[in-house]
Amino acid sequence: MFFALLFVIWAWAESVSSPDGFAFVQEQMSGVIGKIIAIGTISALTYHILGGLRHLVMDMGHWEELESGNNSAKIVIGLWIVLTIVVGVLLC
Amino acid sequence: MLTNQASFKRDGVQDFVTVRATAIIMTAFTFYMLWFFLSTPTVTYEIWHDLFSSLAMKVFTFAALLSIMMHIRIGFWQVLTDYVKAPGIRAVVQFFINLVAFSYVAVGLFVLWGL
Repeated sequence: MFFALLFVIWAWAESVSSPDGFAFVQEQMSGVIGKIIAIGTISALTYHILGGLRHLVMDMGHWEELESGNNSAKIVIGLWIVLTIVVGVLLC
Repeated sequence: MLTNQASFKRDGVQDFVTVRATAIIMTAFTFYMLWFFLSTPTVTYEIWHDLFSSLAMKVFTFAALLSIMMHIRIGFWQVLTDYVKAPGIRAVVQFFINLVAFSYVAVGLFVLWGL
């Protein structure tokens, strides 16, 4: 995500600074490469947030046994796959 | 053990809290942007530019960028101390990562300044 941020910050800086920049970014985003980077970045961020939320719950002392830890991890992965598909459909 | 509270050095507890505090700010920003894109059928330059023109949004965006930098610094310290054991290499890698993380903030600040 750290490297994806290069694209995100660049795209935001360009698009918010001038109408031409906005048009250029919009054009890139409608292209295949733009969509791949966008979906990839959003998917990685989704996984990171879901995992982070799981960690916040674990900080409060839950899901610390083998079984509960495993199950919550599988739920995160399942949710991540579903959400990535949803984002993919929305963006394409 | 005499605890030294006089130095400015961060400790593990502060890093633990910073990672989670910054995570909350960034997640709030993410959900706000998600709501913006879902509730705005067509995003035009005017709408996009006006979104970031209000003082509140500039502060929120800047807070998110600072949170990103701090989250990256601590997160990558954890990753690098696990996987890059050679101190020399780790120091160089950390330097570049932290430099890039700072430049995200700098770019954001100067763009926001100009809006």
